[in-house]
Parts: sequence; C-alpha cells; structure tokens
Amino acid sequence: MAYEVSIFLENKIGHFERITKVLKEAEINIRSMAINDTANGWGILNLIVNDPIKAKEALAEKGVSVALRKVIALEMRDEAGGLDDLLMEVAKAEVNFDNAIGRVITEKQKAILILNVDDYAESIKKLEQQGVKIIDDQTVYGTS
Amino acid sequence: MAIEFWQEEFETLGKKDLQKLQVDRLNKTIESACRSPFYGNLYSKKNIKPGAIKAISQIAELPFTTKQDLRENFPYGFLSLPKKDIIRLHSSSGTTGNPTVIFHNRHDLKSWANLMARSLFCAGIRDTDVFQNICGYGLFTGGLGFQYGIETLGALSIPAGAGNSLRQIKLMRDYGTTAAHAIPSYLGRLYEVFEAEGLDPKRDTQLKTLVIGAEPHTDAQRKRIEEMYGVRAFNSFGLSEMNGPGVAFECTHQNGLHIWEDSYVVEIIDPETLQPVPDGEYGELVMTTLDREAMPLIRYRTRDITRIIPGECECGRTHRRIDRITGRSDDMFIIKGCNVFPMQIEGVLMKIPEVGSDYMIHLETMNGADEMVVEVEVKSDWFQGDIKRLNSLSNTITRQIRDEVLAKPIVKLVEAGSIPKSEGKAIRVTDNRKNGLLN
Repeated sequence: MAYEVSIFLENKIGHFERITKVLKEAEINIRSMAINDTANGWGILNLIVNDPIKAKEALAEKGVSVALRKVIALEMRDEAGGLDDLLMEVAKAEVNFDNAIGRVITEKQKAILILNVDDYAESIKKLEQQGVKIIDDQTVYGTS
Repeated sequence: MAIEFWQEEFETLGKKDLQKLQVDRLNKTIESACRSPFYGNLYSKKNIKPGAIKAISQIAELPFTTKQDLRENFPYGFLSLPKKDIIRLHSSSGTTGNPTVIFHNRHDLKSWANLMARSLFCAGIRDTDVFQNICGYGLFTGGLGFQYGIETLGALSIPAGAGNSLRQIKLMRDYGTTAAHAIPSYLGRLYEVFEAEGLDPKRDTQLKTLVIGAEPHTDAQRKRIEEMYGVRAFNSFGLSEMNGPGVAFECTHQNGLHIWEDSYVVEIIDPETLQPVPDGEYGELVMTTLDREAMPLIRYRTRDITRIIPGECECGRTHRRIDRITGRSDDMFIIKGCNVFPMQIEGVLMKIPEVGSDYMIHLETMNGADEMVVEVEVKSDWFQGDIKRLNSLSNTITRQIRDEVLAKPIVKLVEAGSIPKSEGKAIRVTDNRKNGLLN
C-alpha cells in the first residue's frame, strides 16, 4: 500500500518553505503535491514523495505535525478523457474520496490518480471488483 | 430647567450627613457580616467588633475581601442570613472552578431596583419612556437588574433579551422605543443591521436615550454611538458582586458616574501598596456594600481601575463621581459583555487532549464587532492528516469555550511549537481592538 505525507500548515508567509527546506535537506524528492485550504488560516499539505517514511521522520524531528496516510493509486491514460474514463469506473465502484492528486509518468504515457478515501480496505475491494488497476508503491513513489 | 431627583433626600445629602449615614450603615453591615461564616471567623480573629467604626476613614483598618475569598467560600460561606430568607442568586459563568455567586433577600432586591431606578432617572429617563432592555436575562445581572429598575421607575419595559437584531429593530419600531440598554459593542453591530435593512435609527426610530455598560468603553466610542443613533448615551457601571448595574451612573451632565454613596463606601487604592490614593488619582476601586442584608461585602477589591473625579457636579447630586474604567489590575478582560479570565480558556483547553495547553488570545475588531480569537496548537502526536477531524476539533473547542465564558470565540488552529511556552507569567492576551483598554 502507498502512503502520502500529510502536513498541518498555517497559511502564513514562509511556512511552506520551512517544510520544503527540511525535505530538501533530507534529500526527499517530491513527486506531486496538493494543498487543502480551510479558510480558517490553516490547511493540509499532501505530498507524494520518493520515501514517505524518511520524509515523515525528518519533519517530525523538526516538530512539524505530520502523518502518513494510506492512499489508493490508480492507473490512468495520459491523454484527453483519461481522467473522465477512470472517474466513471470509480463512480461505478461507488467509491467516494475526499481529495485527489494527479501525477504523470512521462516515459510510459501513463498517469496516476491518487485518492484519499474513508474506508481504505473496502474501497480497494470495490475498485478491484470494478476492474480498476491499482498501481504498486514503487511506481507511485518513482524510481529516482 | 428644574432639577429633579428620584430621591432628593439621599441624592443631595451634604458631605457630613452622608458620612454619618455611611458610618451608621457600615456598623450595621459589620454586625450583619459577622453572622456569616467567612466574616465571623475573620473578624473574630482580628478582633473587629460591630460599632467599632466612628469615622468613615476607619474603614481602611478593615481587611480586604477578594474574588479568591468568594471562590474559596463557595457557595454559602458569605451568607449572613438563613437560606430560607434568600430569594435569588446571580452568578458568574464558568464550569471550571467555583463561580462567583451573590445572594439576595427581598430587601436587597428592592434596594437594588431602587438604585437602578435612581440611576435611570438621573440619566433623564422617566415613566413616560418605553425602555427596551437588549441584554441577556438569567444569571447575568444586566437583564433582571435593569428589568426591576425600569419597573420601579414606572417606564414601559420591553424585556427584549440579547441578540436577534432584526427582532430588536422590529420591537423598537412597533412600540416606539425611546430608551434602550445594551453593551456598546453590540450597538455597533445593530447599526449595521439597520443599514442593511435600509433603515436609519435617527429617522426610523424614536430613540432618544441609550444606556451603555457592562463593557468598558471610551468617550470616543460613546460619541460614535450618539451620532449613529441620534441619541444621548449614558455610561452605566456595575458588577455582580455589588448587585450588578445601578452601582454608578452618569447624570445628564455626562461628566463621570455618580457612585451611590448611601449604598456603597468607595475607596481608590494603589493596587501595589494597597494604600488609598488621593481624589483625582487612578487606582483600584474598592467597594463596601452598605444596604445589603443577605451577603454584605466589605472592602471588596473590584480590580477595576478608575479615579474619583474631584469637585462637585452641576446636577446637584453630592455623591462623588468615578471616571470611566480604564483597565484592570488583574488579567480579566471583557468581550461581548462577558467577563473572561484567561485561566478559564486554559481550563477548557487542558481537557482537550488533541491540543496543547499553550494558547494565545487576541482581541480584535473585525467588521465592526469585537471578537476573541483563540489560537491553540495542534499536538504533533495527535495529528493524523485528516481535515475533517481538525475541523471538528476546532468546532469542539469553539463550543466548549463558549459554554465556559458565554462569548463565542474564533478558534484558530496553529502549528505545534508556534506559541510561546508558558514560563511563569507568559503574556496570553493581546488587545488590538479599536477601543481596547488592555495593553
């Protein structure tokens, strides 16, 4: 199973950079990112990185509120309609998700859709029954 | 213009006669206080006997009473009468620690209502007025305190209660309200609702007098309210320990608040040395009840900072005037009319495992209204990356603080480690309100 790194972040100048600085020093490669803003002055930063466990440890050591969350990574075609076709399958499987990150794997003409879901095991089962291809961790994290 | 008084025989007493009345009443108060467990014990230890006071200046020989004393002797330690004689209590909010509770017998309530009526009368309010009390009814003294005063005065009372601005405006227009009581910060918000409805209180209501209190405010704030509503606004001062509203009130000269010296002994002390300061100098207000039977309080430290305004008032009332409250000698602050101690906020947060006990309170003026912003840290080890859980945590903290202090806060979650750690007396409150009195 793949993990994303979730970070509690205040919406203040320089706070995001403090996070990326720690990751840079720990030689973590960020594959993709998404920020959820709550309009309450804070939000959650979700990152897909090459080494989530190392990233979490480096951030936690600096006192950052950080957590690893299980995510489901689905394969999609990197072409027009690729996301729509995939989402239709997800909807048919009756899987609801809170937020999503997309990422392209250029060399393979493939892309990945990464989902946060409430019930991880149940969602995986439904998606597999629907025939949606779930991607292995190494592909999610990247090889470099 | 003929000078009118509610009780001329008390309000215009010469200094000598007033002091003689105070000495008589103080001795009676000491006698009655000695029947309470707290004063009975304290005064017998210090060998203080009823009748010991010959001149009012001797009051300085008596020990102070503090809020801490009230809390430690909660609930009945200050009662001078059997419980069957008590007919009402008023109490501070608070679910952590002991609240401050004040008990009244029938005499006390009548005396309070009379002082309240006298206060309204001195601000020019008469039995021909329609008086809307825009203020919470219940344990808070501003509701019932004003209610009984308005009724004693004989004006038509509208017990409107707090909030619901559209209904307040409708009541004012339906019944031709001429006078109203509210906290100053609410009147700013109410005016915005008038504007949003396309109404102008100057044109569309018959208001001519506003009574503003329960919240310290500046003269500039008063003038703004007077301009917004086209009224004269009068400052009302009171505290629940001294009954509530009706302790001190501005007369139509609007130059300080007459503090009713037939019912209270007023002292201003230096909060550090505890020695009296001369008239005109600022210090902490210390008060003694002179006409309360159920629960007399002697030399109670109010923690409010003010001064005696020297000289006589043109209105003819001989009772001295205190100036607006300029601050506190402790860390209490007032927001939306509610008294808040930072310790109360701390008490709430300590019971919520997901947040640290470090916090900051920022008092801000936002969109014309005063708000209390409470910053709390999300603990790193609790964080699971789930936005829904954080939102629900934020709502829980908001609700629990509101339940505790009765004012709804704006809760801001902040990163762990971003609030200064408590080292001894850390500063927990900043006051950035336009008319803020802390700092």
